[in-house]
Amino acid sequence: MGFFSVLGDIYQILKHTFRQVFMRPFTYFFPFEDRIYPERTRGRHIHVRKNCTACAQCVRACPVVAIRIDKEDKMYEKDAALYFDYTRCIFCGLCVEACRFDALFHTPVVDLSEGDRDDLVYGPDKITTLDRDPLEWRGRRFR
Amino acid sequence: MSPDILDEAMEIWFGPQHVSAHGWATKLTLVGDYVVECDPNAGYFHRSAEKVLEYKNFRQGSLVLERMCMLEAFLAEYPYVAAVEKIAELEVPERAKIMRTIMMEMSRLHSIQFWWGQFNAELGFFTMALWPWVDREYSLDAFEELTGSRHTVSYSTPGGVKYDFTDKVLKQLDRAIKRFEDRLPKFRDMQMGSPTFRARTKGIGQYTVKQGLKWGLSGPPIKACGVPMDLRKDAPDPNLAYNMCDWEVPITENPDHPGESDALDRMEQRFKEAETSVQIIKQLLPQLPEGPIIDPKARAKANRLPEGEAYARVEGTRGITSLWLKTQDKAQTAYRAKIRGPCIASYYALKDLVPGAKFADFIVIFGSLDPYPGWWDR
Ligand code: SF4
Ligand code: SF4
Repeated sequence: MGFFSVLGDIYQILKHTFRQVFMRPFTYFFPFEDRIYPERTRGRHIHVRKNCTACAQCVRACPVVAIRIDKEDKMYEKDAALYFDYTRCIFCGLCVEACRFDALFHTPVVDLSEGDRDDLVYGPDKITTLDRDPLEWRGRRFR
Repeated sequence: MSPDILDEAMEIWFGPQHVSAHGWATKLTLVGDYVVECDPNAGYFHRSAEKVLEYKNFRQGSLVLERMCMLEAFLAEYPYVAAVEKIAELEVPERAKIMRTIMMEMSRLHSIQFWWGQFNAELGFFTMALWPWVDREYSLDAFEELTGSRHTVSYSTPGGVKYDFTDKVLKQLDRAIKRFEDRLPKFRDMQMGSPTFRARTKGIGQYTVKQGLKWGLSGPPIKACGVPMDLRKDAPDPNLAYNMCDWEVPITENPDHPGESDALDRMEQRFKEAETSVQIIKQLLPQLPEGPIIDPKARAKANRLPEGEAYARVEGTRGITSLWLKTQDKAQTAYRAKIRGPCIASYYALKDLVPGAKFADFIVIFGSLDPYPGWWDR
């Protein structure tokens, strides 16, 4: 290996390094920044009680028994309350696929961590609302 | 070997805590720097997948399979879907066939990209660990855009696929393939041109075809010996589109030791596998016809299956992945399912392959066979 080939190697390495320096960072400063998730992202669910017919197909479709239905709890004429247990859910999308009445959807909200295990069971009040806009760019970029 | 030397033998557990030993543990008996006995132990990653399958209905079952090996999720879930399709006699629309095949090849690419990173990181060659992982992100972006999930895709379903290609997905796929194709020669240069890497892998973990077949190896570890054994060509699945494009089974023949393969050949084989996958995807993408992506009656038909037995297999990234499924009449769940992962063979091959090698070469041999714990702990 001659002197010039070593220089050439060094040039290659520096070229690569400089290109990376001026590129946008690949990582996010997570709790403050978030990226925009694709439309089909299978995050936490949202339950539209107005359309629900209490058919319980979502409950039957769920492979890990993460959904509990309470047919007594009615808000409209024939709907039901759903309880989602996010300690069990594997975000497979089968419940959303099973619902034929446009009453159950995934949202792009994927950061569900809670301090308390019980908070991960989303009752009817929590599962029917979004506490924040999922596509919102939260905070500012730190770099 | 005299008995005195064996008196000084030392037993070392490689794993399950070791960083590159995610869920496996191998007992090595060492004399000095050399391994004299290797005892692979399965069971540290056991999730009773076969038993779980007996409690899941036929639309849920593929979710269990894809969690067996998340690196090749599209490929891993397919044998179950294919077995159900066989028993229920479902027709798969043309578009779904091609989409499945494209995504399975993307999955193979992703798995190989991941393996490069992992294997090279284990060897301490971090440039080639991080470069393929950048490209892997592009593959994952396409998966996420298509299915909504990066790893647990749940894409194939009895009778077709769940999500249709959108323009954005096609764009992402195109981008991932183009970028990877551009960078592949660079990767090859970096990897195969590295004298350190060559010295580290040449002649390490060498076995003959005969040995390999005796151990039950399949996929890249056998193709690296120069045997064109590939299910995609040998037994084309009617529900996949491998016969709609023109490609050759990738094999590696080393003139230095014909009919044998070492760790270096197996790396070369992975490059060829990646090239073939790119070739297949590029041919299939323009052939995508319009039409439905799932047989409309499939859902009702897959609810209850007639009595039957089916055996389905697919050429996975690591070898032949297959599943045997038995159902009883009007069954909602499987009576019995038996999974055959490719890696159980390559893991237990270490028993014969490793003794005689240096301790430091153990991870080279292990990594070059690319075993994934999910496949042997079922
Ligand atoms: S996404 Fe899957 S696991 Fe989660 S509640 Fe729906 S069906 Fe159950
Ligand atoms: S959410 Fe959909 S599937 Fe579930 S009970 Fe309501 S209507 Fe039925």
